[in-house]
Amino acid sequence: MATKYYLPEDKTPLPPKGADVLTTCCDYCIVACGYKVYRWPIGTADGGPQAADNAFGVDFPSGPLQAWVAPTQYNVVMHKGKPHNVIVIPDKDAKVVNIAGDSSIRGGCIAQKCYNPDKPTNDRLMSPMIRINGTLQPVSWDMALDVAADLIKHTIKKHGANAYGMKQYSYQFVENTYACSKFSKGSIDTANWTMHDTPANVTSTPGFRDAGFDNFGPAYKDWGDADTLMICGTDPYETKTMIFNQFIKPAIDSGMKTIWLNVRETAGIAYAKSKGNALFIQLDPGTDTPVLGAIARVIMEKGWEDSEWIKNWVNDKWGSNSGFGQGTRNTPWQWRTTWGKFQTKGFEDYKKWVISQKDTDPAVAAKIANIPVEQIYQAAEWLAKPKADGSRVKASLGIEKGFYWSNNTGNTNAVSSLATICGAGGRPGQVVGRFGGHQRGGTGGGGYSRNKSAQKRPGRRRQALDCDRYFYSGNTRFAHVVGTTWIQAMCGSAGLNAKFEELVTMNPNQVRSFDKQEIIDTLKKRMDSGGTVVLDQDIYLRDPIGSKFADIVLPAATWGEEDFVRANGERRLRLYSKFYDAPGDSKPDWWIIGQLGQRMGFDGYDWKDSNEVCEESSRFSRGNRKAYHMIKVAAHKEGKTLHEKLREYGTEGIQGPTFYNYKTGELLGSVRLHNTECPPEKMEKEGRTQGANMVNKKMTHFNSQTGKVNIQKHPWSLFSDYWEWMKPKDTELWHTNGRINEVWQSGFDDVDRRAYIAQRWPENWTEIHPDDAKSRGIESGDQIILYSDRVPNFKQTIKGVHGSDFNFADLLKNGWIELDKAAVTAVAIVTPHVKKGTMYSYFINTSQPSNVLQGRVPDQISGNYNYKMGVARVKKIGESKYKNEFRSMSFAPRNIV
Amino acid sequence: MTDLKKKDETAADHGKCMLNRRQFLMYSGTTAAAVSTISVSLFPGEAKAKARVVGYPRKKIGQLSKLADNKPLDFNYPDDGPNSQCMLVKMAGAKAGGGIGPKRDVVAFSYLCTHQGGFLNGKYQAVGEHRVLGQCPLHLSTYDLTRHGIIVSGQAYQSIPQVLLELDGDDIYAVGIMGLLFGRNENLIES
Repeated sequence: MATKYYLPEDKTPLPPKGADVLTTCCDYCIVACGYKVYRWPIGTADGGPQAADNAFGVDFPSGPLQAWVAPTQYNVVMHKGKPHNVIVIPDKDAKVVNIAGDSSIRGGCIAQKCYNPDKPTNDRLMSPMIRINGTLQPVSWDMALDVAADLIKHTIKKHGANAYGMKQYSYQFVENTYACSKFSKGSIDTANWTMHDTPANVTSTPGFRDAGFDNFGPAYKDWGDADTLMICGTDPYETKTMIFNQFIKPAIDSGMKTIWLNVRETAGIAYAKSKGNALFIQLDPGTDTPVLGAIARVIMEKGWEDSEWIKNWVNDKWGSNSGFGQGTRNTPWQWRTTWGKFQTKGFEDYKKWVISQKDTDPAVAAKIANIPVEQIYQAAEWLAKPKADGSRVKASLGIEKGFYWSNNTGNTNAVSSLATICGAGGRPGQVVGRFGGHQRGGTGGGGYSRNKSAQKRPGRRRQALDCDRYFYSGNTRFAHVVGTTWIQAMCGSAGLNAKFEELVTMNPNQVRSFDKQEIIDTLKKRMDSGGTVVLDQDIYLRDPIGSKFADIVLPAATWGEEDFVRANGERRLRLYSKFYDAPGDSKPDWWIIGQLGQRMGFDGYDWKDSNEVCEESSRFSRGNRKAYHMIKVAAHKEGKTLHEKLREYGTEGIQGPTFYNYKTGELLGSVRLHNTECPPEKMEKEGRTQGANMVNKKMTHFNSQTGKVNIQKHPWSLFSDYWEWMKPKDTELWHTNGRINEVWQSGFDDVDRRAYIAQRWPENWTEIHPDDAKSRGIESGDQIILYSDRVPNFKQTIKGVHGSDFNFADLLKNGWIELDKAAVTAVAIVTPHVKKGTMYSYFINTSQPSNVLQGRVPDQISGNYNYKMGVARVKKIGESKYKNEFRSMSFAPRNIV
Repeated sequence: MTDLKKKDETAADHGKCMLNRRQFLMYSGTTAAAVSTISVSLFPGEAKAKARVVGYPRKKIGQLSKLADNKPLDFNYPDDGPNSQCMLVKMAGAKAGGGIGPKRDVVAFSYLCTHQGGFLNGKYQAVGEHRVLGQCPLHLSTYDLTRHGIIVSGQAYQSIPQVLLELDGDDIYAVGIMGLLFGRNENLIES
């Protein structure tokens, strides 16, 4: 393992008065804190410690919470071809998100992200490359693009549009996601398209979608305005740091109760517990559905539900059926909601169903989840028991991946229904939503042709294509990968890796020539013989997708190297300023796609700059949660560009959907969605309804046919066969994985390239409970191997005929599940903060990918992976160097308060 | 810092990650200051690091025999100016990087969280074999004192600065700092 040296320094330069100041935001997690970049040329004077002598106007030494520059916040970059000092620190003037310049460890060190040939970022991709004689060799842009375009044309013509597959990031700035999806979904029109974190183009939270909840409806402030906040499958301190620091922690300090569903106790949970107003439900992986069902049952049996809310905002039988009279019901949400498994005739029907379910009996649920049954009753009380004066408790419910990637459909249905009976969803301090992962930078440049997917459930229920399964089946002849590792990020990833080897590396048609036409001919032969050609766009050479499998590698320019637009988890849109030259010949992804599009002969790919892409894309954002079209309208009225207009808003930005008041010329944002307390007349009065403004139902109502919430069932039986099968046998333990505060949505920079973080987390690690470790002779710092001979893998694209064809038990019976062997090594961390019987690993160290152990059986309803579900045996294979040295890693538990 | 009189000395190779000499090793960074560089093998089995030797004041901060287990002793370093609050602690036998004394369990660190300057006084904790400083009252950062103050969990931009110690008989001297003190643009400022 490469270990970077973290060498603590004892001084940093200060920016001088008159340094260039540009605004941007953090490139990493959903929260998207505001940052300022201070830039001044090398060779000119630095700022001084007196307030009058530096750009901050602060005397140094500075005091707590004042401006300060840590050595990790300084770097040297090229700007217009000349070396410049840059300091990137959280915006001390910020009035939103990271108020007064708070930050996480990730964004706090973001200056180290910049390309610098003297630093670990020196392996940025600088030139297009083609693999010739097995080696990636620099070539000109023209050559690389000509070859790529010719091969794409060929595969579409000879093997059909679905033979061209694109695997792209969902989040990486609207200009880039728009260009990529316009190319693949619009112009090529392939169904073989998906995002970095899912095998198919599906919603992350089917239960929210079907209930009518937007994932990101709430404002950050809402998370601190509840009386009781339920947090499922995440610790926001670790992975939504500013939401925790700025909103949740102060609320906990003032008495807000928190209920946590998690397998691990990390710092935020430990802190909340220490304040005496937290309930930590440390359940076994995948058991949230019965627990939430039982909580709902207790609430309803006690009569604590929010009857007034339910009366006004929950669909009855007719409402649930509304809009389904004539259609084919072949979109996922239509068939899910009318299938009979989830749909109810309203609250009473839901209540009856819940009470009829065995697994919602608190005693049964507690046994499944391996928790004390009292916690279920306690949670019900905290969420819904009326206060002494009879008034309701304000409850909010937030979820994230530990929850929705365990039992994707069941859990998201269950939390939606629980939220609804608690009255959460559409009022300040009473909200439901995701806390979020990546920032929201997706703008669709083309619709998804689900009807071209080769995959379907019985009846007319066409499903988005599982691109991994389609790849396994040998149908993807040209794989276009944009900004993702693809392989290690997927479940059962060892099998995917082996398939890439078979279809790419082991195919006899390998390039041995420097002649462009011979290269094209060779790779066409590969595709025609059943093999696959791989095109990879990224900022670094990823292993193995770039280093081992890519035939063509195109270097991308990224954050700070181009002006870009993106939204955060409260739909806040900001301009991310370019502040330095992109390294080498790297180009932004929109430019690369533009060049490919023109070579393909498509119209509308001759963009001059990123603003032009952004302005073209804006109309596709209309009606979306982050609609930015009206920024363009306002900008053009003022003779500006969209980018120029948004830049004026600095780090504060503006919350989508945006509106433009044609009378006053004012640009308006939206604090929250589903704002049921905002009457339509108010929207009109504020000037949000005229001209090109688009008032979507989700502004003041919910995303259902009627605008009311669908209260849905959440049958455990759709998942329990898989869960029972997977449950640890003999010496196995549950194996789940996830993120860690220090590396969260920043792994593409941190793990290999930021010395401070690399020192903390130099390689893959696995947390194991002291009891489990002791019986296996494992101590902290030991090198361990996690292994399994029953990693379930569903690899073929099939069509369902019978109703239960996609149940795990039926897949197993019908021979669709292969049991693979897999192993991954790690450094052991023996800690009581993880639940006994469960191991927790880092989810994607690309060299030791723990996803090899996670079952490759997508959620049968939604098509998402349930990444958190896996089992493994574990044994010691030696001692790591970290056991006895003092400079790297730490084995201290994360729950010390 | 350029106005300060610096004294360059040869630093010995200790062969272990135990920085406990009067002259303490600072690694070449962004500074343009002209100082001598030497090669030291700081980390066993790893590459040689180029080191810069910088003079810090030598200040007596306590006596080994007077230190009680897990009872931090406060002192100021490298001066009595703002942001100089530090702690010295004997960690009850927990061997530490940079630790001095027969058990290598005596260490010293800055009290100021390197996230946003939260004051960590009273936040030293011994939990099982672990020795940490934290959670910081501002934003909950926690540092591992056996491992040069590396972050355990939290938001800090660097490890908590470690004060380098030297043992002279029973007397403990502070002789340098590894890492930039919160709020300072350089550790050594004109008084």
